[in-house]
Amino acid sequence: MTRLLIPVVAAVLAIATALVPSAPAAPIDVDKSVLDAQAQRIATIKKVHPAIVAVCMQGGQGVGSGVIISPDGYALTNFHVVQPTGPLMQAGLADGQLYDAVVCGIDKVGDVAMIRLLPKEKGKPFPFVALGDSDKVRAGDWSLAMGNPFSLAMDFTPTVTYGLVSGVNRYQPPEGKGLLEYTDCIQIETSINPGNSGGPLFNMQGELIGINGRGSFEKRGRVNSGVGYAISVNQIKNFMGHLRAGIDSDHATLGAAVGSANDDAPLPPVIVKQILDESDAFRRGVLDGDQLTYFAGRPVGSTNNYKNVLGIFPKEWRVPLTVRRKVAVGYETKDMLVRLMGNQDVEKEKPPGAEQPPKGPPPPKAPMPKGSGESAKMYQTKKGYSNWYFNVLERDNLLTAFKKHGDFSTVPGAWVIEGAYKMPDREGSLKAEIVENKDTAKVTLKMNIETTLEPLKQNELALQKMPLGSGGLMMAMYHYHRFLTLGEKGFEGGFAHGGNEPFYPFPTDGSAPKSLASLRVDCAVILTKHGSVNCRWYFSLKDSMLLGFEAYLAKDSKDPDEADPCEVFFSDYKDVDGRKLPGRIEVRHGDKRYAVLTPTKWMLNK
Amino acid sequence: MFTRYTLLTVVALFGAPALAPAADPFADTVEKANKKLVKVFGAGGFARLNNYGTGIIISKDGHILTVASQLLDTSELVVHLYDGQRMKAQVIVTEPLLDVALIKIRVEGKKIDEDSGLDLDFFDALTAVRRPPAAAGDWILGMSNTFEIALRDEPLSVQRGVISAYTKMAGRRGIFEFPYTGDVYMVDAITNNPGAAGGALLDKKGELLGIIGRELKNSLTETWMNYAIPMNAKMTLKTTITVKDKDGKDVEQEKTVTVSMEEFVTKGAGYKTPVDKTLIPLGLGGYHGIIFVPNILERTPAYVEDVVPGSPADKAGLRPDDLVSFIDGEPIISIKALDEYMRKFTRPNQKIVLEVRRGESLQSIEMTLGQHPPKPKVPAPKP
Repeated sequence: MTRLLIPVVAAVLAIATALVPSAPAAPIDVDKSVLDAQAQRIATIKKVHPAIVAVCMQGGQGVGSGVIISPDGYALTNFHVVQPTGPLMQAGLADGQLYDAVVCGIDKVGDVAMIRLLPKEKGKPFPFVALGDSDKVRAGDWSLAMGNPFSLAMDFTPTVTYGLVSGVNRYQPPEGKGLLEYTDCIQIETSINPGNSGGPLFNMQGELIGINGRGSFEKRGRVNSGVGYAISVNQIKNFMGHLRAGIDSDHATLGAAVGSANDDAPLPPVIVKQILDESDAFRRGVLDGDQLTYFAGRPVGSTNNYKNVLGIFPKEWRVPLTVRRKVAVGYETKDMLVRLMGNQDVEKEKPPGAEQPPKGPPPPKAPMPKGSGESAKMYQTKKGYSNWYFNVLERDNLLTAFKKHGDFSTVPGAWVIEGAYKMPDREGSLKAEIVENKDTAKVTLKMNIETTLEPLKQNELALQKMPLGSGGLMMAMYHYHRFLTLGEKGFEGGFAHGGNEPFYPFPTDGSAPKSLASLRVDCAVILTKHGSVNCRWYFSLKDSMLLGFEAYLAKDSKDPDEADPCEVFFSDYKDVDGRKLPGRIEVRHGDKRYAVLTPTKWMLNK
Repeated sequence: MFTRYTLLTVVALFGAPALAPAADPFADTVEKANKKLVKVFGAGGFARLNNYGTGIIISKDGHILTVASQLLDTSELVVHLYDGQRMKAQVIVTEPLLDVALIKIRVEGKKIDEDSGLDLDFFDALTAVRRPPAAAGDWILGMSNTFEIALRDEPLSVQRGVISAYTKMAGRRGIFEFPYTGDVYMVDAITNNPGAAGGALLDKKGELLGIIGRELKNSLTETWMNYAIPMNAKMTLKTTITVKDKDGKDVEQEKTVTVSMEEFVTKGAGYKTPVDKTLIPLGLGGYHGIIFVPNILERTPAYVEDVVPGSPADKAGLRPDDLVSFIDGEPIISIKALDEYMRKFTRPNQKIVLEVRRGESLQSIEMTLGQHPPKPKVPAPKP
């Protein structure tokens, strides 16, 4: 049985006092290696000490712990710590000062929240800790937990506890309503108590390996009983983009029940059961009864293995998986990239007119959070976001960095692209024209055969997804032009930062990739919506270059051809009048490459 | 109560720095010990009686030492080995005076008293019972399936602490007095949790010291006790027996009986002489002649680097960069797993079917295993 480590004001101080040994030990002869280890430990604690946060309500009452991870004041804590504080809280540091802080992104399922501390003097950097690699942690390793258990320290000096990692890759099921699920977490015997929630777990080098948040208690009440859990930092890294961008993040599901084929067998395989038709896994070819052998690069030997791997990803991430299936002779294995579905029930957009009149009095409005002027200015509400302010901040930072590769807002007129195209069965010259002005919007694509689309007039899906087999290349081009020339103004339905995601450009020579995982490039994502079309734009985390995008014509369609996006991959960027434009555009749809376009001439604002 | 706690704390404070290691030496010890422990599943699941516990393997064919709890009160006893295998088990004998039981893994098609044919890693219990007891202040590691955190191939939980005392205790469970009144190890690690009973109390090097006890309260202080029954446990009782005197009449005679762990494991697990497992040449299984890529990770996938010319692998047509994924339908996740599979389940001249990933396709390859070539002899050191 597990419980969360929400602090209680307990009469522990008296006990703590009684536990202090009275007489100092007589000096004893101690081995040098022991003294060295101790000196190293003390140095490590001293190093990370200033970055430990006591998360407090407005006014300074302690509720939990946290840790600063960047000089500009971003800190990690538990979601269940910021639940009672609301979006504006205060944060005490070891310097004894109380800082104003505001919530950024949250991850309710993973029990993680990011907050941002405001410096006392503008621009003054905060002390922070480095992130470690939690995949390297082993059972039996030493660890340090730091935080403010029982809100003991009135001056916010963190408490240190020291102990072993008891286990890694642990799975602890959700606590009610599917939230606070600890997957792939680190089990520690390092003492953590109410108030330690959200505080850091360090390896002996002082690198952050986890966020403490939960324990198994049962009969003794909520105090340490030798079994605590920390969320692994590698899971948090996957959500880092979401957390910084103020997103109310969600975890993922494969869209199928996955379990052991036979619980009584000595070594049963893990198989797929009841796969949903609307899942991407189904569209990619996973069938009921398939054995799941590898998931996101990790072997799947048991149901807990599977839950551990699944639990570390945000929804809509694409991950490689391998299934094995019995065929007429022997077995076949199949590798594929699968987009994960959301975990939490998302409110489906209601058709107009179907709304029920509200029953009873309207719910009382949440009191407007109070805070110092500065932190209150950094909080904006919006559905789907825990703090929209940070989404705009991250989004605009990303777009500003992208603009260094070329400003397209000055060339809003018609674009003509000339070059060549290559398809599996034919090749030839390419000519594309994208026109948009206040009277008309029109895309003409000539690849031997000429096709046209007027996105504003033709709202039939069958026309929109032309040319056939591309998943909607002309529609995608229309959105590309709009994204580059209009930016936010062009997307009335939504224009937001979508966190970070892996992106998988295929080898440009058309060869089969060595492994799907090897294709991965980490990207920041912008999500847009215009009309009924949703797009995801992928920017390299390295240089903010646009590596590609996906255009979804009808995301929820039952027809796989419509539900799968038109995928566009850009490479071979060239300079065109001071702006970078791709010299190679690969178009994919479903599991196939539709065409490769090689533009040689871009005429912008014709 | 405060005095008692104060005392424990002082021991801990003095104990810790004296032996604190420079690096992290426990991870390897823990990994090794985990292979010699099982998760036990049996009767319970109601009224705070959990249906899970821990057991210590003490023979290669699957004798397991655990606590004599209600858990064993079932015909459906199951254990999970470190590699995720689920196997049935059966109680051989229990000794209520020591609160221990011996169970054995039941292999399909074998009688319980036959050699099961298993080749498990185990703690040499006979060496353990003869080892002098550890003393207060010594470091310990506790390994158990506390709170049922581990299932199948998930490793058991490890805790660390020091021995607070080697002493007698007065325990009770509910209203029942605890039958064992011999010496126990009291530890400062919190082992008194559901599922921990039957786990291993180890010294710093991973040698077996005792069996983690169950959820008992101290009947004097009403506190939960973290204790372990030592491997050298002994109980001496006075009892009366009826004997015939020289006239053939029944008379009562007082007798002292000693029940010891040594006798229990020797008789129960059929120990003869202490066995040093490292001296037994292990069956190597069949020979394939595959040269794998350097095995640097715990789970390096079984990629073929090369094959020995003329070997079974060569004849079967394996090529560099092939990935061995399955053998006879069993998934092979690493080079280590493949070696283990070969050793456990194959013999020379046996035919096996490999499923090999070559590029994007999966190939079934049949191979007849051979005899291992003799290893070059290492010259004996000169006296």
